[in-house]
Amino acid sequence: MEGLLNLWQATGLANFTVPALCMMAVGCGLLYLAIAKGFEPLLLVPIGFGAILTNIPVAGLADPGGLLYYVYYIGIDSGVFPLLIFMGVGAMTDFSALIANPKMLLLGAAAQFGIFATLFGAILLNYIPGFEFTLQDASAIAIIGGADGPTAIFLASKLAPELLGAIAVAAYSYMALVPIIQPPIMKALTTQEERQIAMPQLRHVSKTEKILFPLAVLGLTILFLPAATPLVGMFCLGNLMKECGVVDRLSKTAQNELINITTIFLGLAVGSKLAADQFLTVETLGILALGAVAFGIGTATGVLMAKTMNKFSDTPINPLVGAAGVSAVPMAARVVNKVGLESNPHNFLLMHAMGPNVAGVLGSAVAAGILLALVG
Amino acid sequence: MDIGAQLLQAGNLMLTGMVGVFVFLSILIFAMRLLANFAAQFKEVAPSTTRSKTTRATSSQGVPQAHIAAISAAVAAYRKNY
Repeated sequence: MEGLLNLWQATGLANFTVPALCMMAVGCGLLYLAIAKGFEPLLLVPIGFGAILTNIPVAGLADPGGLLYYVYYIGIDSGVFPLLIFMGVGAMTDFSALIANPKMLLLGAAAQFGIFATLFGAILLNYIPGFEFTLQDASAIAIIGGADGPTAIFLASKLAPELLGAIAVAAYSYMALVPIIQPPIMKALTTQEERQIAMPQLRHVSKTEKILFPLAVLGLTILFLPAATPLVGMFCLGNLMKECGVVDRLSKTAQNELINITTIFLGLAVGSKLAADQFLTVETLGILALGAVAFGIGTATGVLMAKTMNKFSDTPINPLVGAAGVSAVPMAARVVNKVGLESNPHNFLLMHAMGPNVAGVLGSAVAAGILLALVG
Repeated sequence: MDIGAQLLQAGNLMLTGMVGVFVFLSILIFAMRLLANFAAQFKEVAPSTTRSKTTRATSSQGVPQAHIAAISAAVAAYRKNY
């Protein structure tokens, strides 16, 4: 009889808690969004599954000694996984559109206002009972506005590891929701005539420029913002491998096998942070709300900056391309193209939007570097 | 720390951060302009190499034409027989 009781005590049925079941439901919800709705499936599948594994009673996968604990410790606590992903993203990014029109960097900079305004908003939330965000927490939450998953995870792992799960889920969920969040803001801030503006064709960019670009970016980061060199350095390494043309095998590995393997473990490790005691808090609701605000503000300031630049620039700039400044490559650029086509069916803005789009990646990495330098 | 002081810090951080991002990316714009000029100088040297490449391409194009003629003759012969 005692043996039977012991066996019963070892079953999941006897050990389930309501919060753990809730988190398993959240994991299933993420799997549903990924599989049925196609929201960022590459990340939400491992994150959702990781959330289920983490909350299995008795097994202790996320406790010291468990698989997910080690994956998190080795990959995210050390900051390695987001950086490897960033190298792969660098190897997949083509900077031609930005090199041909460097002014677009200003749009990438303007859209980062979403990050810093949200930082202020996160501290404002402290007036509501139940919220106690420190400046570090607020900075880690605000980076969701950078619309860049690896950057958000990197910064959160350094500044607020206890909020990492909620921040990563919010960042990737909102990146998947870019086509829903951005168009109303873009349309509200522009007139029909502005949306119809056609932009001149971009000049040809030589191979030499493409090779020198990552080296120049790295050089400037070393000189002015060494705190951002982990992110920018890995990004530039990936991009240089792609553009130099002599290490195709390494470049292909960085943008395929390596990034895929890392994505599996990154997702699982993020999922391991979706434990009930860390996720089922009022702070998570605040993070989800602030993430949406950050995206909205970033989009708005990008569009407003593009409007201003259009007034003073010699060549016309369609204000819609400003919305692509919030990184989320290449989704944001595609959204700009789609909204542009709705106003003028002959106006293809995709290549023009890729400039501010990749500028946004650099901008959010720089913003992360600044936050690390000032708050970390 | 009271919320007022935190807000002041956050405001400062917002201002410093935005100025920092704009200054850094503006310097990058300047660097990219220099880079474009620098790369343009390289182009002046480039024509001699591209010309030699194109001449090689046309000379090498002559040989495949003979091959093409031979292959098409062989294909025609094959079609005739089968």
